[in-house]
Amino acid sequence: MEDFSKKLKDAERLAARSGVSRRDFMQLAMMTGLSVSAAGAMFSKAEAAETPKKGGTLRMGMEGGSATDSLDPRTYADSVMIAASLAVYDSMVEFDNAGNPTGALLESWEAKPGAVEWIFNVRQGIKFSNGKTLDADDILYSIGIHRGEDTKSPAKGILAQIADIKAITPSQISVTLSSGNADFPVILGDYHLVVVPNGFTDWENPVGTGAYKLASFEPGVRLVFENRGDYWMAGRANFDRVELLNIQDVAARTAALQSGQVDAVNRLDARTVDLMKGNNALSIVRTKGTGNRFCFVSRVTSPGFENKDLRLALKWGIDREKIIDSVYSGYAVPGNDHTLDAFNPYYNTDMPQRAYDPDKAAYHFKKSGLSGEITLSTSEGAWGSAVDCAQLYQESMSKAGITLNVKKESADGYWDNIWLKEPFCAVYWGRRLSADQTFTQVYGSGSDWNDSDWRVPAFDKLVEAARVELDETKRKEQYFECQEMIAEDGGMVCFAITDYLDGYSSKVMGVQPHARYDMNDNRIASKGWFA
Amino acid sequence: MLRLIMTRVFLGCVTLFAVTLLIFAATEILPGDVASAVLGQGATPETLAAFRIELGLDRPAYVRYLEWLTNALQGDLGIAMTNKREVLATITPRLYNTLFLAGYAAAIAVPIAIILGIIAAINEGKWIDRTANILTLGAISVPEFFIAYILILVFATNLGWFPSLSTVYGDMGFWQKIHVVALPALTLTMLVMAHMLRMTRASVLAIMSQPYIEMAFLKGLPRRRVILRHALPNAAAPIISVVALNLAYLIVGVVVIEVVFVYPGVGQYMVDGVSKRDLPVIQACALVFGGAFVLLNTIADILAILVNPRLRHPR
Repeated sequence: MEDFSKKLKDAERLAARSGVSRRDFMQLAMMTGLSVSAAGAMFSKAEAAETPKKGGTLRMGMEGGSATDSLDPRTYADSVMIAASLAVYDSMVEFDNAGNPTGALLESWEAKPGAVEWIFNVRQGIKFSNGKTLDADDILYSIGIHRGEDTKSPAKGILAQIADIKAITPSQISVTLSSGNADFPVILGDYHLVVVPNGFTDWENPVGTGAYKLASFEPGVRLVFENRGDYWMAGRANFDRVELLNIQDVAARTAALQSGQVDAVNRLDARTVDLMKGNNALSIVRTKGTGNRFCFVSRVTSPGFENKDLRLALKWGIDREKIIDSVYSGYAVPGNDHTLDAFNPYYNTDMPQRAYDPDKAAYHFKKSGLSGEITLSTSEGAWGSAVDCAQLYQESMSKAGITLNVKKESADGYWDNIWLKEPFCAVYWGRRLSADQTFTQVYGSGSDWNDSDWRVPAFDKLVEAARVELDETKRKEQYFECQEMIAEDGGMVCFAITDYLDGYSSKVMGVQPHARYDMNDNRIASKGWFA
Repeated sequence: MLRLIMTRVFLGCVTLFAVTLLIFAATEILPGDVASAVLGQGATPETLAAFRIELGLDRPAYVRYLEWLTNALQGDLGIAMTNKREVLATITPRLYNTLFLAGYAAAIAVPIAIILGIIAAINEGKWIDRTANILTLGAISVPEFFIAYILILVFATNLGWFPSLSTVYGDMGFWQKIHVVALPALTLTMLVMAHMLRMTRASVLAIMSQPYIEMAFLKGLPRRRVILRHALPNAAAPIISVVALNLAYLIVGVVVIEVVFVYPGVGQYMVDGVSKRDLPVIQACALVFGGAFVLLNTIADILAILVNPRLRHPR
């Protein structure tokens, strides 16, 4: 019975966070022996908590900040500044929890056939924190700072496809692309692209349309925000005040959450998160398989690796499940040798998951006609546990009779000296906004970052065709084929995609997993509320 | 005396100059620069070049060093390359925090260590001597973060007496800060006690084997009086210098403690600066740390002269 009441309590909390349907809830409740009407009443009560309440101070403790942070959107690289930015500024385009683009300050849009010409409608009646009303020029300026010859913005590359952008009226913008892209609104959802007033340059004192205004900012220490009042999106901006503490150490973050000094933390440690699950004062939100994609990447133009059979041997010879269990305590999903994740609408669900098969690995290695050892360069600098993963890989390969030589490189300068240079090395990739972006940046012939050096004209053609395809069924088929090509022929062994693990005090509501980032797309300050 | 102080100050400045030169050279040797560190994996050759020109990194290293040096000599520590904030304005509150924590820990550790050291010397070989030795040596024999986590587990998570986050802000009152910073101060106390206690004990005992001490005993003075009046003033010099060394450690060596307790000190600032190759930040921190070392050691030398009659009146 105690087990049931625990489950019931969990279900109640889940219902409050809209994670459980009425039907599931009733089933669970009735298993514990409640009558139908009592269970129904209970669900309504739990669901009532879904209506956001106003008030309170949210204290967040996050990793991913530094004493060198700034509120200039052209310098964002990690979670703290993304979360801070999304509290003060608004995006042009947002994403719903399933990852589909939805209108934010650009309310709606329309593409002419071919997806070259776009019309965006600017949301009306929005006021900046300095009192100015939002119009098309603000949007043009906010995009413009990421474009042009001398900008250092990381978003410069994704905006290079804009051939012409202009305001038709104060509430409408037309964009002409250099070539069609059906995903263009997704591009405008990039976290660097937030909206500031036309001509704005004073990044120390940010002016935005966001839910909060900045009260104080000590880089690497703390950001404090105060509610601006009267936010345009219903159900958002519920806290009076938000404090965002930089807590780089995961043990310190965990202790702060457990002792109630903060209400929300990001990036819990997979090795200790199970110990916190029994604690009813806390809730753990797990977003499956949208985190970093961990890969061992071979350059298919390097001697030996140009042999497709060798690459297949590398893919069959890795024990994904074992690495996930022992290195990530089960909090990751196996990768299928490409970097798209299952949250992407175009993820190939028909392709079987590649599993560990030492016989197949041995078969392909023999067929390749190669002998001797294969050298894998790895480092803590690639990602924290890259060396552990490489050692487990070595062990599973040796069962297939293949000798893998694990070479540990210096963490400093890893991306400069090893990545894109050594023939076989450890790499992680982050989530990209769209399938198109993933395929173009990671595998496209024209990409500087194509780390497997796998440049296949037929693949490029397919990606180009899919980019302008407005027929969803056709597009899906094309993207499915792309994934098959990469997994079968490419040089990448993508073996795991990590989960995001957020920790909250159980009184924080609105904490669903999100397809893009942890902490409900790093917008918990704006989306959450206290029960 | 004045001449000695002047020499010390001059040598200190030379040391600081050497430190900044070395740090600058070391940062230049490290692979990557501020542009590639900030833009990370997402950098393209174009954005890198734009960022470098904006920061003036396209100029030769010696030009940049001389420019930094000229400005620093005029009291201008420059602007952080990464977030364009004034280094001086950022480092001042952090330096205050570092000094606060160091002072807090020293205020607990120094009196206890010296008194315990003297008591241990008076009672050489007895249980109190052994207990003090075992406890303090035990404390420095485990890594600092281990002590820190144990203290957090006991006093923050289980008992709830002190917070596990020791972040302090400008708007906090003095006593509130004392409460918030208790755990890191306690951790540091345990780390520096052993060194000072052992040194006090050893130098007092070394003096105790001198003939003039034997004379004092033969006069019939009690052991306590012999130690406090006759032995201690002559043992003071090494004690003072070991205290100074430990104070310097409390200022410059506490990065790990700052990370574990999320304490906004200079150490964390320097680590962030190094990981982003932000030279003005690194140089400013190096100056602070180097300056702390030079200053404390100079003070220790001067004090050692003042307390020792033989050094005070050289023949």
